[in-house]
Amino acid sequence: MTDELKRSVEIRIPSELGYEKVAMEAAATVARQMGFSPDRVQDLRTAVSEACLNAIEHGNKLDVRSRVLVVLTVQPSGLEVNVADSGKELIPTGQPQAGRAEDYRGWGMFLIQNLVDEVEVQSEPNVGNQVRMVIRLGEQ
Amino acid sequence: MPDKLELSVRRQSGLPIIQFSGDVTTFAEDVVQNAYRDVAREGGRNVGLDFGSCNYINSAGIAAIIGMVTEARRQSRRVLVFGLSPHYQKIFRMVGLADYVEMCATEDEALLRVTPPEA
Repeated sequence: MTDELKRSVEIRIPSELGYEKVAMEAAATVARQMGFSPDRVQDLRTAVSEACLNAIEHGNKLDVRSRVLVVLTVQPSGLEVNVADSGKELIPTGQPQAGRAEDYRGWGMFLIQNLVDEVEVQSEPNVGNQVRMVIRLGEQ
Repeated sequence: MPDKLELSVRRQSGLPIIQFSGDVTTFAEDVVQNAYRDVAREGGRNVGLDFGSCNYINSAGIAAIIGMVTEARRQSRRVLVFGLSPHYQKIFRMVGLADYVEMCATEDEALLRVTPPEA
């Protein structure tokens, strides 16, 4: 078994709202064990939750037969989280504005970008969306 | 796997306070709007939002709160927020909600802000 496999955790959650909390708490547990501060653990919880929500609602269109794959990989410099769906719809990346639009949704990617140290989104329709997030040890 | 959210309305020194207990998520939108409209029907100029018993707010929950705050602003009603953890205070600032509500450290501070000074 390679070192990376030893230090990675895979979680498959149903595409049903509420299950994002399973991935969120798993990521928080790993981050706490790695020594991240409580503030950073909170940032990670929200980022993972939002990435999973996007995957559930958009990528898998709430189809309970589709799963969201979450992979947590412990690295010497930090924690990498990959969230993948089946790409039924591209995940929204725009930024809404409080007090302006009548539809107040769509803050997920904005929050992720502001809470983790690295974000990368790869999307291919009907193949999949993949969100890669990294929080680094020692960053505030 | 629906999230559990209970909202109740209480009054403290004349300030109607909507108490959030549980998770504020996608399932919150109607509950939040109904609670606000119950308070608005009473016609007061202020409303307090107590998040002290709330552990999880996601972007859909934030959207529900933005909707409520937008309606309150249209009706020239002040919204005072307290009980938020430091993380969610940061989130409220991040999405701009803190520009539209009065962020208070405690319920006492919210009450002080809406209590007219004694003559």
